[in-house]
Amino acid sequence: MNRARLPDVIGALARFGLAAVFLVSGLLKAVDPDQTYVAVRAYDVLPDAGVEVVAALLPWVEIALGLLLLAGVGTRLVAVLSAALLLVFVAGVTQAWARGLSIDCGCFGGGGAVDPGETTYGQELLRDAGFLLMAGWLIARPRTVLALDDRLGTRRMG
Amino acid sequence: MGGASRNERRRKQEEAERRLAAAGIRVPQKRDRTGAIVVGVVLAVAVAVGGAFLLARALGHEVEPTYTATADGAVVTAGSGPVVIDVYEDYLCPSCERFEARYGNELTTALNENKVTVRFHTVAILDRLSEPAGYSTRAANAALCAVPAGVFPQYHKKLFDEQPAEGSAGLSDDELIALGTELGAQGDFAACVQGGTHADAVAKETEAATGDTALQTNGRFGTPTVVVGGRKVDLNDTSWLQDAIGGQS
Repeated sequence: MNRARLPDVIGALARFGLAAVFLVSGLLKAVDPDQTYVAVRAYDVLPDAGVEVVAALLPWVEIALGLLLLAGVGTRLVAVLSAALLLVFVAGVTQAWARGLSIDCGCFGGGGAVDPGETTYGQELLRDAGFLLMAGWLIARPRTVLALDDRLGTRRMG
Repeated sequence: MGGASRNERRRKQEEAERRLAAAGIRVPQKRDRTGAIVVGVVLAVAVAVGGAFLLARALGHEVEPTYTATADGAVVTAGSGPVVIDVYEDYLCPSCERFEARYGNELTTALNENKVTVRFHTVAILDRLSEPAGYSTRAANAALCAVPAGVFPQYHKKLFDEQPAEGSAGLSDDELIALGTELGAQGDFAACVQGGTHADAVAKETEAATGDTALQTNGRFGTPTVVVGGRKVDLNDTSWLQDAIGGQS
């Protein structure tokens, strides 16, 4: 760790960035479960029972991924899981856009129906693409500075 | 240490292990699973936390309403308890459905025990969000029809249980009638639903509610809005109902 190389630093920035994204989005969803339910329901994909389950679990899974990224444990595995979750978000937003629904993605709290002129699907997808890029870097190159993986030797797990 | 040579090395090792295994020799597992285990445990904890909330909600049992209701215009007055609570709801509003899911049983219990009077203000602010427009008003009208039909408490709950998605056509008049008939609606409930008997009263109440600055947050009126003693209630404060009852007895 004492002779940090530039790619390791970039990796750490991607890791901390993605950690911040998941921690913030997870906490905002966890503190307002009713709003989270409304946001998930607005995608109009799942039956009510499924919405209930996803809305209850999603915030805590996001927080868990955020904590794991922050600590830098099993970085590659966590990055793969993060990318998978982000792809689910992308699919959700894309189907809403394609079907002509007028919703807010509820990515960072909020969510639900909005007026037809107020959708921001393009920006939402672009943002997710940025997050995917960060996850992609960590999948391709999980070595980062300031990671617990260095102590545990667990970087390439998964 | 290029990726190619690393893969090559791993392949050779796996090949060797396979041959040993074929010969009946077991090689101790070298791969360290610590990372995967930590990740698995942390995720399992997260799922358990979310699942606990889910379970807590699922275990709550349904409270059957035993209170009675009367209507004046588009305002349904339920119960006759000392604490007066004003509730503004649109039957298409997802947050209102959540309000009913979270506080419905508690409110029904308080009504059954005659601790509160609830004035349900039947408003329609989301008419534009059904396709064709107007479900909010049709559902509001049907709810008001359910009052003289003697089934408002059950019908009110039913409309939220069966709430259609925003952007959908909503329940048809026939479906709205069927829901009431199932609950034993008396009199000319069907004609009342089809005729839009209370649509004007709903429009008037909606106008009054949206124009009332005391009901607004940041200059906007939304549903659900709950008012106790002239003050708008913060519904994220889960003890708001207990506080309202405790504060005035």
